[in-house]
Amino acid sequence: MNIEIKGLSKIYPNGFAAIKNIDLQIGSGMFGLLGPNGAGKSSFMRILVTVQKATSGTILMDGMDINTHRHEIRRLVGYLPQDFTFFSKLKTWEFLDYAAQLATSLKRKERIAKVDRLLDQVGLLDVRDRMANKLSGGMKRRLGIAQALIGEPRLLVIDEPTTGLDPEERIRFRNILSDLSQKDVTIILSTHIVGDISSTCHNMAMLNKGEVAFKGSPEGMIDQVRGHVWQIMLDDEEFDAIKAKYPVVSTIPAEGRWEVQLIANDKPHPDAREANPNLEHAYVYFMENELGVSLV
Amino acid sequence: MISIKNILTISSYEGKVLWRNWFFRIIGLAGIGFLTIFNLVVFSELDSPDWDFLANGSVLPYVSLLFISIPQAAAVIFLATGLIKKDKKLDTNEVFFVRAITNLDYVLGKALALFKLFFFLNLVLLCIPLIVGITNPLATVDPVAFLSYLFLTSVPNIVFTAGAAFLLVTVIRNQPISIVLLIGLAGVQLIYYFDKFSNILDFTGFRLSMMRSEMAGFVDMEFALLQRSFYFITGIGFLFITAFLLDRLAGHKTAHRASLLAGLAILAISSVIMVKLWDMRKTPIALRQQMIEVNGKWADVPNLEVSSHNITLEWLGNQISSTSEMVLQNNSSAPLETIFFTLNPGLTAEALFINGQPAEFTRELQIISVNKKIRIEPGERVNVQLNYHGPVSEAAAHLEVDQERYENINEFIIFSLLKKYAFLEENYLLLTKDVLWYPDTEVGFNRRSAAKERQSFIDFRLTVKAPAGKTPISQGALTVNDGVYTFKPEYRLPQISLVIGDYLKKEIVVDSVAYSVYHYPKNDFFARQLDQLADTLSYLITDVVNEYEDAQRLSYPFKRMQFVEVPLHFTAYNKVYESHQAHVQPETIFWPEEGGEIEQFDFRNQLRDMTKQAAKSNQVLTDKQKQANVFNDMVRKIFTKQIGSTWVWEGKDIDNPDYSIFPNYYDFNSGIVSKEWALLNRSIANYLRKDKLVRNDYSREIKGISFTEECNDLMRTSPLNRILTEGEFSKVNKSVALKSQYLFSYLGHIIGESNFKSFLYEWVNTHQHQLTRYEDFRKAMMSQFKVDIDPVMRKVYSETSQPAFEILEVQKYEVMDGDRKRYQVLVKAKNSGDSDGVLEVKFNHKDQGNDEDDWYPKVNEDAAEEAPGRLAVIRHGETKLFGYVLDEKPNDITINTIISRNIPSVINMSMGTMSAREGGVLFDGERVIEKDDSSNSYEVIVDNEDPGFSDFSPIKPTMLKVWLDGLDTVPQKYHGYWSRSYAKWLATTGSDFYGRVIRSAHFTRSGEGEKTATWTPELREEGFYDVYVYMRGKNQNEYVGNNGDSRQFEYHYIIKNQDGTDHISYNITNAEPGWNYLGSYYFNKTGGSVSLTDECDLRTVYADAVKWVKQ
Repeated sequence: MNIEIKGLSKIYPNGFAAIKNIDLQIGSGMFGLLGPNGAGKSSFMRILVTVQKATSGTILMDGMDINTHRHEIRRLVGYLPQDFTFFSKLKTWEFLDYAAQLATSLKRKERIAKVDRLLDQVGLLDVRDRMANKLSGGMKRRLGIAQALIGEPRLLVIDEPTTGLDPEERIRFRNILSDLSQKDVTIILSTHIVGDISSTCHNMAMLNKGEVAFKGSPEGMIDQVRGHVWQIMLDDEEFDAIKAKYPVVSTIPAEGRWEVQLIANDKPHPDAREANPNLEHAYVYFMENELGVSLV
Repeated sequence: MISIKNILTISSYEGKVLWRNWFFRIIGLAGIGFLTIFNLVVFSELDSPDWDFLANGSVLPYVSLLFISIPQAAAVIFLATGLIKKDKKLDTNEVFFVRAITNLDYVLGKALALFKLFFFLNLVLLCIPLIVGITNPLATVDPVAFLSYLFLTSVPNIVFTAGAAFLLVTVIRNQPISIVLLIGLAGVQLIYYFDKFSNILDFTGFRLSMMRSEMAGFVDMEFALLQRSFYFITGIGFLFITAFLLDRLAGHKTAHRASLLAGLAILAISSVIMVKLWDMRKTPIALRQQMIEVNGKWADVPNLEVSSHNITLEWLGNQISSTSEMVLQNNSSAPLETIFFTLNPGLTAEALFINGQPAEFTRELQIISVNKKIRIEPGERVNVQLNYHGPVSEAAAHLEVDQERYENINEFIIFSLLKKYAFLEENYLLLTKDVLWYPDTEVGFNRRSAAKERQSFIDFRLTVKAPAGKTPISQGALTVNDGVYTFKPEYRLPQISLVIGDYLKKEIVVDSVAYSVYHYPKNDFFARQLDQLADTLSYLITDVVNEYEDAQRLSYPFKRMQFVEVPLHFTAYNKVYESHQAHVQPETIFWPEEGGEIEQFDFRNQLRDMTKQAAKSNQVLTDKQKQANVFNDMVRKIFTKQIGSTWVWEGKDIDNPDYSIFPNYYDFNSGIVSKEWALLNRSIANYLRKDKLVRNDYSREIKGISFTEECNDLMRTSPLNRILTEGEFSKVNKSVALKSQYLFSYLGHIIGESNFKSFLYEWVNTHQHQLTRYEDFRKAMMSQFKVDIDPVMRKVYSETSQPAFEILEVQKYEVMDGDRKRYQVLVKAKNSGDSDGVLEVKFNHKDQGNDEDDWYPKVNEDAAEEAPGRLAVIRHGETKLFGYVLDEKPNDITINTIISRNIPSVINMSMGTMSAREGGVLFDGERVIEKDDSSNSYEVIVDNEDPGFSDFSPIKPTMLKVWLDGLDTVPQKYHGYWSRSYAKWLATTGSDFYGRVIRSAHFTRSGEGEKTATWTPELREEGFYDVYVYMRGKNQNEYVGNNGDSRQFEYHYIIKNQDGTDHISYNITNAEPGWNYLGSYYFNKTGGSVSLTDECDLRTVYADAVKWVKQ
């Protein structure tokens, strides 16, 4: 699916601008949306899935305007919101079947088969008869992704999918998404966890205060930080001084000293050496340099 | 657009969620538990249920559904508001909001889920009465009723409350506030609009008239169906509007708008229904007013009188087609150039012929008039034929009944019944004169001349064509010829009625009178439950008839007496000028379907009680004897009113049904008519009718004075003719009754009571089946007694001044008269009012039984032999001594002041112990006392009515009480015992309080001694005084359980005298009714007082009067 976003803004009645004039082009595959809390990611995604209306701007999905073709677009969308708590008193399979009945026109037998298949895929088959609200946080999110997938959507919008998941579940989750991205499905993933994007997305945007701070590939973003990531071994005293001056990305204790990675435009210390940047470094660099957010 | 699949999906899963909701489960279980217990207790054979609960097959399901209707509405509101609200904390809704469903799918799906669940719950709940009904052999189980009432009550209730809850919570987006508002709305409807506006606003259907008659079917279905449809459709409309207002972006703009338009269209339909409902309610009300106006126009226009009337009627379902052939006569002294007839405005007059010639007529509602080419000379007779057809408008009936009474609910168990005055249904017909189903020449109620009584008796003949299998019932001898029924009454009658239905007849001829019971085939319970009476019935009837006729001193003037079962909804009113209700027609009594709520028709329980009673009194009765007793009981309590007692709130219970057969002895048989004294005939009927059924009025317990006293008060300010036109009916009715009583007491006193009675009975017996003119009656009285009753009537009916009787002294002695022990009672009474007055004095020799046995029918209960009252006239300003010599020891004395300033107007005093008197002359009679020489000693009495009495209370009433008191717009001087205050001393009245004319006392709830009542005398001279307090009797007549368990009760008095202040605890356990000695003290001229505190172990403290007697 091809999504074309032009001049999208969302201003709430109290005057707060959640999104300001966003222009984006999103094609098939996985698209990551990065940004700190409150950057406008959730508002943006709720607009995308037709839960909320933008104040201005247009979104075309495969050429269809989201405002005039809401019903058609809803057939194509799967959505997993950020805070996903379940209906009380529905069993896991019932919840999924409820979504399946609304999203598909399958006959009962096929539908149930599909529900079970999907439950198996997300690793919930064993708990299909458990009440959904009795599932663990990770299971709930997996059920959430299952309900988003049940209608075989062409656009999958997932808000903060890995919050509260343990590493194993996070990996499983990423794998499900990677499998999906092989098909002609657009997956928009919003997160403030950089690792989620670096491992899965080929395209991404970074939002800050409702505006697009960066758009492109994760590699492109990493390239921009190359030469600004430094690694140094410091003693306690030096570490305190450095910490007060530069944003520190990682700190590893080693032989009574600290192995520190930090972001700096110029060499921060005589012993500093350039390090290989990753998306996390790029994110911090952007926050610090491009957006003027002091992380020190 | 709407997707059925989506709606079903949503309803299916939301239903599951609701089904697992703890709140729903709890209320479901509570409902099941409640209805199970209720049905077991009320309808099952665990106890023996009342007959009226079992007889009609609709009662079982209908009662259960009504009981749950209000809690169900509340439960739907709770669940519905939770179901549709958008909880900001949960994004769960949003994953469904992004599905390709319309808002309408979403809302309707949720509503359907809720509906399915409650519908299922209702089905389960209905199984309870069904099972209980099936297992009770006496109960009627009507499966159709179970389904009908489910759809009539619960279904619209659920849909409307769900729709309203969805809409409200969507608009104001706050669940708790929505719940409060909706429950509040239900509360306002229940409290404020309960039984108002024909229950149009009753969305739960709790009080809407939907009770089905097993004789006439759903007689009120059109209104009920429309009302229920209104709520059902409005509920659906609300759902559509909810879909439009739902906080979710719509998929299709057109679909979105369409749901608004559909919602508005649905609401428009429901509005049309509401307008129609309102119109159905208003039209008859307006028609009544128009008819009253029209009557007013014609009231004084002279007209012909009907001499004979031959009606031919064909029943055509909801219509009749009739021809009336009348012989009319001009009985006035002038020629008539206009003649007119009254006829039900629903009936269309087709043609009118006068002496065989077609006549041109004009119609104005109920009046058909002819005024062209017509002149009828005095005494001339004309033959008139009127052809008419159509439906009958019930609004034409009972125009004299005011709006409030007209709209009062006809109660049956917990149901309100539509008031029916006539039936013209597909399968049932009932017509009485009240609906003007045949033409007449007399005008009914109008405002100018409040109402008139019938001016002529008519020679009727009725020919009825009815479908095969249907039985017509009317007055007179019946001949049937080829499906045509002809009724020819043997005598002239004031009116006839017609009933047609699937009746069966049971008949017995006793002493040349044919007694018949007409009943519906299913309703032969009386024959089944009193199955052993066949061979003794004639004796039983003879006995009750003899007893009745001996008491009335009149004999039954007709050849038949028919007891006709009529549908539950048939309603009648008491009237001002007629002393009978529509339940009683010539030769006919209409008894309610399956006995209605009349306890005496509950033969099974009556037999059970009879058995208990017999066991208590160690009597052995055979089943046959018991049945005979039950039969006797029923006839004597319901139809002849010769035994029994009933509790009434006089002034409120004004239209309780009256099935007394008395109108057949007088109203339909005779009458004295007078243009000037329109009330005379009614008064005579009142006077002649000798009911022995005791009516215990409890209006004093509620309002502090009795209803009679309220009316006496009114009659002091308004002459009777103003009360007749302006007063509320209850007061009109009572005032007329009091005036009648007063009139005949007065006449009886002048002429001699027995002479007068004999004359009156003779008059009625020699003028049967006709009306007589007042002028003739007056002349006869003059020639017999040399008394002109005209001035007496004028005085009685017009005067507003009233006597006031002071009972100065009652002395009672046991005297030996030779070797006979006799009793002498001397009553000294003074009339201090502004008019002469009549007293009626009665002695009661029986102890008033007060045990629980009274609740059961007595075995072979005797009619209480009432000692005749003795009348006495005291002129104003006069004091008289009355002497009564009695052979039996009197237990108490009742002095009825009839119309007076006295409160209570009927003084009942216990005679207490009688002192033995040696010698002396027995005095039986009355004499005027010129000079009161009763006592030489100086005494001062301070009563609670006097300025020397004061009360004090430091206790503030609760805010609720203050608010409730504020609702009383008319300040009350006296208060009923039932409104005992804890914060105040209130005044109340009663025979056993002290008072010269008004016997009253102050009373309060007993407390800790903070509240006091004080009597302060002004003494002429200082000195030693004996102090007495006035008491009602032992323990101030308060019931304290098993004779008080020997407990002792005290009043606490504070006596201020010259020596200081004395605190006295005064034992009232054995206080005598009247003055009780408290102590002797030295009092100065001023400064002394007696106070009573509220401290007492009894519940109430009374402060009445204190007497100082100089030593």
